[in-house]
Amino acid sequence: MIDLDRETLAQMIDHTELSAHSGEKKIANLCSEAHTFGFYAVCVNGGYTRFAAEKLQGSGVVVCSVVGFPLGAGTSTAKAFEAREAVQNGAAEIDMVINVGALRDRRLGVVRDDIGAVVESSRPALVKVILETCFLTDEEIVAGCELAVQAGAGFVKTSTGFGAFGAFPDHVRLMRRTVGPAFGVKASGGIRNFKDAWRLIQAGATRLGVSASVAILEGLSLYPFAPAAWLEEEIPCHVCPSRFASLDKQPKAVYAYYKKKCLACPHREQFNKFYE
Amino acid sequence: MNGWMGRIVRIDLGSGRQEDIPVDPETRRRFLGGRGLGVRLYADMCPATIPPFAPENALLFMTGPLTGTVMTSGRYQVVSRSPLTGTICDSSSGGSFGAALKGAGFDGLVITGRAERPVFLFVYDGTVEVRDASELWGLDTHATQTSIQEQTSAKASVACIGPAGENRVPFASILNDRDRAAGRGGMGALMGAKNLKAVAALGGKAVAIADADGYKTMSARLERAVDKNAVTGKSLQVLGTAVLVNVINAHGMFPTENFRRGVFNDAEGISGEKIAESLLLRQSACYKCPIGCGRTTRTRNRQGEGPEYETVWAFGANLGISDLEVIAEANYACNELGLDTITMGGTIGCAMELCEAGAWDARFRWGDADRLDGWVRDTAHVRGLGAELALGSKRLAEKYGQPELAMQVKGMELPAYDPRGAQGMALAYATSSRGGCHMRGYMIMPEILGHPVFLDRFSTGGKPEIVALFQDIAAVVDSSVLCRFLQFAVGVSTLGEMLRTVTGLDFSDAELMTVGRRITTLERLFNNRAGFTRADDTLPPRFFNEEFQNGSSRHRRVRLEEMLDAYYAVRGWDREGAPLPATLAELGL
Repeated sequence: MIDLDRETLAQMIDHTELSAHSGEKKIANLCSEAHTFGFYAVCVNGGYTRFAAEKLQGSGVVVCSVVGFPLGAGTSTAKAFEAREAVQNGAAEIDMVINVGALRDRRLGVVRDDIGAVVESSRPALVKVILETCFLTDEEIVAGCELAVQAGAGFVKTSTGFGAFGAFPDHVRLMRRTVGPAFGVKASGGIRNFKDAWRLIQAGATRLGVSASVAILEGLSLYPFAPAAWLEEEIPCHVCPSRFASLDKQPKAVYAYYKKKCLACPHREQFNKFYE
Repeated sequence: MNGWMGRIVRIDLGSGRQEDIPVDPETRRRFLGGRGLGVRLYADMCPATIPPFAPENALLFMTGPLTGTVMTSGRYQVVSRSPLTGTICDSSSGGSFGAALKGAGFDGLVITGRAERPVFLFVYDGTVEVRDASELWGLDTHATQTSIQEQTSAKASVACIGPAGENRVPFASILNDRDRAAGRGGMGALMGAKNLKAVAALGGKAVAIADADGYKTMSARLERAVDKNAVTGKSLQVLGTAVLVNVINAHGMFPTENFRRGVFNDAEGISGEKIAESLLLRQSACYKCPIGCGRTTRTRNRQGEGPEYETVWAFGANLGISDLEVIAEANYACNELGLDTITMGGTIGCAMELCEAGAWDARFRWGDADRLDGWVRDTAHVRGLGAELALGSKRLAEKYGQPELAMQVKGMELPAYDPRGAQGMALAYATSSRGGCHMRGYMIMPEILGHPVFLDRFSTGGKPEIVALFQDIAAVVDSSVLCRFLQFAVGVSTLGEMLRTVTGLDFSDAELMTVGRRITTLERLFNNRAGFTRADDTLPPRFFNEEFQNGSSRHRRVRLEEMLDAYYAVRGWDREGAPLPATLAELGL
């Protein structure tokens, strides 16, 4: 049973357009859709923050601007400046990318200070911390979440959408468990339809970063007409990050980590039986 | 009137009489237009047992409330009883003919009777002229279109038949705007039986839009949705529909050699990627279409349109042929002669297996690329071996005593998805109102492409509901009338918004789904009256008894019986597949 109405779902969505080649026309359409469908926010690159804020003035839809996007490997000073400027341009929320390399190096103080600098310069805006989970092990995801809480952010977020893979329920569950019930968890990347979204909400996501937002709302609208199809149990491997691990796109240690998890997975036998 | 033009005219080719058919607003709301309103009008006009080639049989050319408005709205639907299957049938085509017909002032044309000599209709500015086509008889579709444009207007859009339609080949197609085809079900043969060579339409009238501002906003949203969607915004644009070749082959359900295998070893050589590398001249698009899935191609000898996915399969993997130029040229021939490529390929595949099995002593061999073009041409002219192929696979296999070798449902040849690889697709094939068709309920969307929900393709769980849902949505899109590819990018709510801004009528999701259900149920009623029963909602025995030994759909069989009762229950039909009185009452049928 899916007990979610259209308005509640729309208010969980950051309607997103972050591709490098998007121009004003696309951002204007994004804003128009966000207003029409009642999405919580639009998420745009810094260059379009002011434009989006002007388009959405008085609409009730807030502007979220990304910072240090998509690599997160710049300096804290640059990120802080970018965040401050975005807030001045009308951003009510900042989605920042952490220094993923520093976290993998276990230079936790660097990561905490990096987040802290953005939080400080973004006030009063809310800061969401993008961990880019596809480059991290579970242990590193937990560490990233703890650092975000310690640094005063409001949300942790799974992905930029530009990494090896996007949001998975396993990661969202782990993040929710780590940050506790009161902190925000935003799932983003690869959320294409309502079932993807619903799975992540059930795992603990309170916000979704998606560009297929209208399609997701329409998927919810279709649910009453074929509920059994929407509730059909998922093959666990279809929603497992290990299946999507890629040696081309991930650090080899992270790739090996996910493949090792796959080998130890209790679903493995059932999955193999399922497909012979 | 907003959305509709408010005129459907009946033309009796025997007497030359013309009369308007009144359609009340309530009927328009309940059936929209295109396929839905076409089936409603047809069922009111013709008994289900009417011989398709009888002069009194009606042939309808229908547009819908969205025709000539938003993107992809140049389409039209042809509705009648199929000479191939005996079921109700509608066949859809892109291009711009639909927009031209509507722009000429008509929501639809209903054609009855049989002209004494060949004629064509010229439709413009609220007028239908019947003109002599004696000199066009025998011409191919391209020459016909050119000649009619010379006689009428260079801006006219022409829907016509080639020699196959003239010779009443039961899978003859109608071609318009050069190479766009209303391919399936033999609607071209019905034109031939009426001595109707073509319909030329010259648009000019604009469709009245109820909410101009809302329409503009909605069009912008539609544009973004199509652009954002990976299928409509990228794959179909760059690689055309043949982008599916590698995808479906990788899923082990690319039917090979008359559905005996699910993996074609030479798939890469006939893929969309290969077409782009070797044959592609340019992308081509229908009226107001930002997708442009069409391919204008060139071989060493010729230039033409296609092949699309279904054709590259029908003349490729299905026959064991991997020469892309031969496939493309057979496609060009089908376009010129007016033949449905899926049924043509399916029938040749059946012939090859009949010969291999020793049931038929003829020279059909797997992979025989040299003879393909000749078989196609002979079929259109019903001569030599082509006279046998012109029967279609069902009648051909029955004639040679091995009906199980025809890969068809209700007489219509199956398209390029082996149902053992997708249980929902199997159910959609079996229950399709026009026979073995993928367009009635395109379950590849959820089962392979994951839209709008990703379903386990080997499971039967939840499939009856979603097949019914997809069939109903398809009926609404076909009745609106838009391209089905939009379904990848937008859902029912957006469709409702399109209808609202254009017609001024509010359609909730629930109402639109009821419209879809009403149309599919009416089609079912018609087919039941035509003699179709539960026994016809099935597939060739191969899919229940034989398994692939390799590929990712290996060791699978279709489990139709697990789904069929539940499907009937979802539909509100009894165990024999007849709509229950309560269902008919609920739908107002």
